[in-house]
Amino acid sequence: MRLLRGVYEGPGSHGILRVAASMNGVHGVLRALPNEGYFHTLYNSWSRTGESPPVTLSPMWKMDSLPESTTVPGHLGRDLSGVTRRHPETETVILARSDTALLSGEEVPATSFPENSDTGLAPKLITCGWESPAVGEMEATDLALEDLVRAHAGKRERSADPTVNVFGPPIFNPGAAAEYEEAERLLALIGVEVNARVPLDASVRDLSRLPRAWANLLLYRETGESATLYLQDEFGMQRVTTPMVGSAGTGSVLRSVGDLCNLDGSKVQRVIWGELARTTKLPWYSRLATPETFQGRRVAIFGDFTYTLGLGYALAREVGFEVAPCGTYLTHLERDFLFHAHTFTEDAFVTDDPDEVANRIEESRPDLLIGTHLEGEVAEGLNIPFLPLCPPVSSHPFVQRPLMGYAGSSVLADALDRSPRRAEEKARVLPAGLPWSDEALDELEEIPAFLRGRARRLSEERARKLNAPEVTADILGDSRL
Amino acid sequence: MTILNESGIPDVLSPLHGVNELVEKLPGAVVAVIGTRAEAYLAQSLKSALEGGSPTARRNPKTLFVVLDPAETPEGGRIASRLIAEAAGISGTRMMLLAGGRSAELIGVDIEFEARMVSRRLDIPVNTISLDPDPEFPGCLCTDLEDHALASLVELCPTGTSDRLEMPAQNPKQGGLFGSFRGRGREDTRAGQRPVVLLGSSGELEADLGRAGVEVAGSVPGQDVSALPAIGEGTLVAMTSPHLKASQAAGERGAKVVRTLIPIGIDGTARFIQDVAAAAGTEANEMGRARAAWESMEHLRNRIRGKRVFFAGDTGFEIPLARFLADAGAVVLEVGAPRLDKRFLAEEIQALGADVDVVELPDWRGQIKRADETRPDVVISSPGLYAPLVARGHLCRSARDLLDVGAHGYDGARLILELLVRTFERAETLDSISL
Repeated sequence: MRLLRGVYEGPGSHGILRVAASMNGVHGVLRALPNEGYFHTLYNSWSRTGESPPVTLSPMWKMDSLPESTTVPGHLGRDLSGVTRRHPETETVILARSDTALLSGEEVPATSFPENSDTGLAPKLITCGWESPAVGEMEATDLALEDLVRAHAGKRERSADPTVNVFGPPIFNPGAAAEYEEAERLLALIGVEVNARVPLDASVRDLSRLPRAWANLLLYRETGESATLYLQDEFGMQRVTTPMVGSAGTGSVLRSVGDLCNLDGSKVQRVIWGELARTTKLPWYSRLATPETFQGRRVAIFGDFTYTLGLGYALAREVGFEVAPCGTYLTHLERDFLFHAHTFTEDAFVTDDPDEVANRIEESRPDLLIGTHLEGEVAEGLNIPFLPLCPPVSSHPFVQRPLMGYAGSSVLADALDRSPRRAEEKARVLPAGLPWSDEALDELEEIPAFLRGRARRLSEERARKLNAPEVTADILGDSRL
Repeated sequence: MTILNESGIPDVLSPLHGVNELVEKLPGAVVAVIGTRAEAYLAQSLKSALEGGSPTARRNPKTLFVVLDPAETPEGGRIASRLIAEAAGISGTRMMLLAGGRSAELIGVDIEFEARMVSRRLDIPVNTISLDPDPEFPGCLCTDLEDHALASLVELCPTGTSDRLEMPAQNPKQGGLFGSFRGRGREDTRAGQRPVVLLGSSGELEADLGRAGVEVAGSVPGQDVSALPAIGEGTLVAMTSPHLKASQAAGERGAKVVRTLIPIGIDGTARFIQDVAAAAGTEANEMGRARAAWESMEHLRNRIRGKRVFFAGDTGFEIPLARFLADAGAVVLEVGAPRLDKRFLAEEIQALGADVDVVELPDWRGQIKRADETRPDVVISSPGLYAPLVARGHLCRSARDLLDVGAHGYDGARLILELLVRTFERAETLDSISL
């Protein structure tokens, strides 16, 4: 049991639905209490297309209080088979059970679907037997995608020309579609075709053709890890896992893809040079800035796995920030994360408690904070610039911009270009901190971590206004929200 | 009026989205949601999905999430002691509400017990809010949390004084009838009235009832959570919102719930005031007031008259709103009711015009299909249907927007019409641009 003031990840069922709604021909059925429906609302605010997501709620209510002949939805078996009747285009039905449904221990009834009259194929049912309330959203996207790939991928001849599969982020990741596009653009430049994008906009047919490709490019490890490992074991497909963030990261990915696709290394390098000259602005930004700009400047990064590590590498090496602390909320990837993060920071950590994150960031007093939407208030409290670059974020942009690849590195340069200077301006107007009485410090400790920075700032301002020599418990009390 | 049960899956937003709003509405109250990660996630993420746009979601320090480990039942009292420790850091805590549902129950948490522990140690009122929908009755509404919280607050109200307890004995046949009483004896003075408590958002209704000569003892939630009015034997309770659980909670305390219309719209408000006054033992004639209100809104009515409105909302206020718009001259094509308790809403259903169709448990796909067929001028929709309907070229308003303007009372009626007129005007402006 833990007391939290926010969560980074949703339940596993949400992860399954994210994968299902990313793809074409896959329909998610959410088995949950009737008051646990939400996916349509969330989908609308993200997709902004006006399409309804391929997700159906199978509400759990006391069916025995209803007459036998009722047609009210709620009977899981009937609801599952109803999906293919209502949505004849469905090729695969995937079942997601809410935490309540899982805890209730309800059995999944054996269900088979009639053949589709157009294709002559019967839809498949994937029940996600691994699901449990202990599996979080991102791990569930990974496992659900693996199940889908296992169910469909079949032996295929390798394509004549070099092709790769791009395993990227699912829907609800900011800029998901833009990341795939950037990867596809760069692959085209080095002469590699994309066999399939997975999971975003992938069809069931794409899944079956995955083994045609020469290699798998794993853009977003959170969602593609297990599926690409399966393809590696089963079909001997190699994968590229370096985060494609920053110019160095992108270059390294392109070179690895080139190697796996037997391309001429010098040709790949020429493409990279071309892009360095034309598209990517991050190295240009770093060279234009004086060494003093970043000397002793500290950036705190917190978020998922790929973006956090990718940004950590890029900011530490390419820009010259000191990265500390650097953390992730993906506890199931703890070992991997710490291994990679320790290559560029001493202070790597894993926690999914936003208050602990706030404490860590507060202690290190960074000059810039990159995080998820839950870190916004922390940055505000510390009065430092904030870049919400790591999912989850709560803004839903109409125009998607990549953060990966060369185009993404320019987006990053733009974001950075504004923030350190802003920090300098603010630092000048902020006078040094006042001393605090022990009593006031004790009381400050009691304030929720994400509001502590703000409380400290407000109290000091108030103490200055009152010409008090130190911040007392009374002043803190008066200036509290 | 016909009621058709479509036996579909309605689009209803999880009531958990309202946790933050609830905390804001109850100053001094801390709300702890007890469950798994799922409950915390819904309460947190749906807020920004509905508000949209903001780069950072503001969190309220008075919303706490107790995330349970599914494999481990916490020892009785552990949750309470964590909450007690946390409450120390929150200034001005005057009440705590623990919200929990089936998942907490299945993990083996006794929320009632934890609530009692917190209450004893902090010496503040603490109660539980059920997150579960009614198991006996298919359907749920997105305002269920508000309803259950209101029920929980009713349980925290003091039971009332002894002189008030005698009141029903003096006038055993009073109440329950609607309409104004004629021929009431002269001994019925204001002093002999039964106290009236308003349940739900009250707005200006308190003042309106006061003008009609009804003594309002208070409202729940009211302005101050630590000064809840007494509800007990003999109290008259008037529901300003169609909240079933809250009305049952008041009934269980022996209070008399006035059976009348929800005070939405002009005739609804007039009937409400008259019926509450009659039940309280006084006479009110709202005819003049209602007529004046209609006249003052004539210009708005002219814009609404003949407009075809399709209700596909999930708030439970659809029937009263449809009743009002039909009275105002709009053509109501269909009213979707994701949950319909015919007994509780009997007055409302009767007051609905003869040519209005109610669809119980509407299927959301069916709703989109019928809206496409009937091409209404405006659809009042749930958040899940909003974007798909707009994409199909329908003019949409979220059901929540109608309530958020403050729909209650005479003034609320004007606000609703103004909101719709604004909606039509903006659509006309946008349509006139050549793109």
